[in-house]
Amino acid sequence: MSAESLALALGGALGNLVLALALAPLFQGVQRRLTARVQSRRGPPLLQPYFDLLKLLGKEDLESGEAPAVQRLAAYLSLATVLATACLVPLGFPAPLSMGGDVILLLYLLLLSGVCTLLAGAAAGSTYSWVGVSREMMTMMTLEPILAVALGVGALHARSLRLEAVLCGSPYDAALPISGALMLGVMLFAFQAYAGRAPFDVAEAETEIMDGPLTEYSGQKLALFRLAQMVKLVVYAGLFVALFVPWGSGLPQPLAFVAFWAKALVLVVGVALVAATHARFRVDQAVRRYSVLLAFSLGAIVLAALGR
Amino acid sequence: MALLSKLKEAWIGVSAGVVTLPYPLAPHPPAPGFRGRPIFDATKCIGCGGCASNCPAREILIFDPCQELRVIRYLGRRCTSCGRCAEVCPEKAITMSDAFELATNDVADLEQRLTLFMGSCQRCGRCFTSPSPLEALKLAGYRLDDLENGRWIFGSRAAAPGPSKPDVEIEL
Amino acid sequence: MLKALCRRMMTKSCWVYHANSGGCNGCDIEVLNVLTPYYDAERFGVKLVASPRHADAMLCQGPALRSTAQALRRAYEAMPAPKVVIAIGSCATGGGQWFDSYSVMGPVDKVVPVDFWVPGCPPRPEAILHGVAVALGILGKKVAPRPPQVQPSFPFPRYQPDGTPATDPQPNADPGPDPSRRNGTG
Repeated sequence: MSAESLALALGGALGNLVLALALAPLFQGVQRRLTARVQSRRGPPLLQPYFDLLKLLGKEDLESGEAPAVQRLAAYLSLATVLATACLVPLGFPAPLSMGGDVILLLYLLLLSGVCTLLAGAAAGSTYSWVGVSREMMTMMTLEPILAVALGVGALHARSLRLEAVLCGSPYDAALPISGALMLGVMLFAFQAYAGRAPFDVAEAETEIMDGPLTEYSGQKLALFRLAQMVKLVVYAGLFVALFVPWGSGLPQPLAFVAFWAKALVLVVGVALVAATHARFRVDQAVRRYSVLLAFSLGAIVLAALGR
Repeated sequence: MALLSKLKEAWIGVSAGVVTLPYPLAPHPPAPGFRGRPIFDATKCIGCGGCASNCPAREILIFDPCQELRVIRYLGRRCTSCGRCAEVCPEKAITMSDAFELATNDVADLEQRLTLFMGSCQRCGRCFTSPSPLEALKLAGYRLDDLENGRWIFGSRAAAPGPSKPDVEIEL
Repeated sequence: MLKALCRRMMTKSCWVYHANSGGCNGCDIEVLNVLTPYYDAERFGVKLVASPRHADAMLCQGPALRSTAQALRRAYEAMPAPKVVIAIGSCATGGGQWFDSYSVMGPVDKVVPVDFWVPGCPPRPEAILHGVAVALGILGKKVAPRPPQVQPSFPFPRYQPDGTPATDPQPNADPGPDPSRRNGTG
């Protein structure tokens, strides 16, 4: 690996990080504004999440909870894993560090960011945190396999586990095979669950369990978790666009960049619309729906293994 | 399909426009007849104490430092703007204004205090309705008989601030 | 440096925790009205959060009851600094119409230190919005202490049977109770 390609990769990684960190709160601002307009009210300014995060940075950090060291670890790790994933996902230009890992690594990092939430709730130790942790665990048990199958179907069609092959769109360049179309449908339905918004926000059910796993966090740690959640939405949107709707990524550079972010914005706006018009599902209703999606995705991977 | 009906629901919300009042940036007067803070007028008050005896929150307090002076204090903390004081006042000295923006960082801002002259009867020395300023100029002196009942005449109920009732302490 | 940034950002983004320590829920409904589209508080960055650890301002309603005093105090202690406590309604400000009940300790400032008071029963949503704006420093307060109205001019004629000159009490003579005395029965 030559020095200049290394420098290019690191520079690209830095660019990805800056892009993800800078645009993630803006996406949440757009979501909140859209939710407000659907509710016929004015809504916060678009830069509101930036103000929220900056304010949280200066608040006193009450070290409450049973294991403060593990809480700190959970906060830093959640942002770190999500940012690492952001370097592996193409965000408008090919992913800078995609030569450093494959699909398994991507899956592992996404799973780890979910585990960080579990760690956060478990380390805090209050009753509300534990209920949130158990709900989040039930959700993750059925959702992570769907993500694995989505990436697996792409890998089967690309005949490779390397990220450049799976995420750069070539599996579905020519025509969308049946398994690909099936996974597209499944991921569309499941995207709301990955974003963690209504109707699938049972783990963080505000009116029921007081913010779930994050109940005991305040100050900088809460800012880290909230930022990680925002960046996770951007990363998942990038993953979805790269896997299933790569049209436009072959265009020359400024257009491809704009096309990517336009698609991501459409996805994020769709999440907000669905969240604004639906009520929350109970955890057993949600898990039942995920199981149906999981059944479809298992059918999709069987079809993909058969070459269709 | 369920999703279409949800989209229609979202469209209804968006097409209603923005219904938010521009409230703090533009005034929003309440409906006529709204009862806000009561305003006490000392020029009309006769010191009868009807408002104080009628206030359900015991928020109007009366003290007589001496026979001829009566101090009426309206502490605005617990006032619920029920309007009973204004309703019972015989001289219409209390008006319910429509001021509702009463947020403050000091409860003493809400207090209104009146010091009233209670003129005494020339024959028995007890108080009657406070004369108008013109009559106050003509008031000459008092009868000196009936010393037997002096204690009833001179006994003015200066409020003695007794020891405050001990409250139950909670282990926090 | 972070603390100064936090204070500057507090006017733009204030997360509110709503604590009802025993009121009738009238003020609860008015606070929830403030979060509805008609009076929209979210355009000022005010968001309702479910956990006191996430909150900057605590909206206290209801008087401090003997049964809930400990819970209210613990919710206050759970909030990270810098924090603001706003007492909403006549119950939280002075004990309410039930100040002499067996279960009422008094106003909320017997249990938590209150920074701002919003009286009313219940205060209109505009009044609560105005109170939050005053607490954040966006607007100035609109009440000021009215000067005490003194009817007689001193000295005034006094009834003395033996003709000795009476000493006039001072115009502001008042051995009355002190409103800052923490006793709901004032």
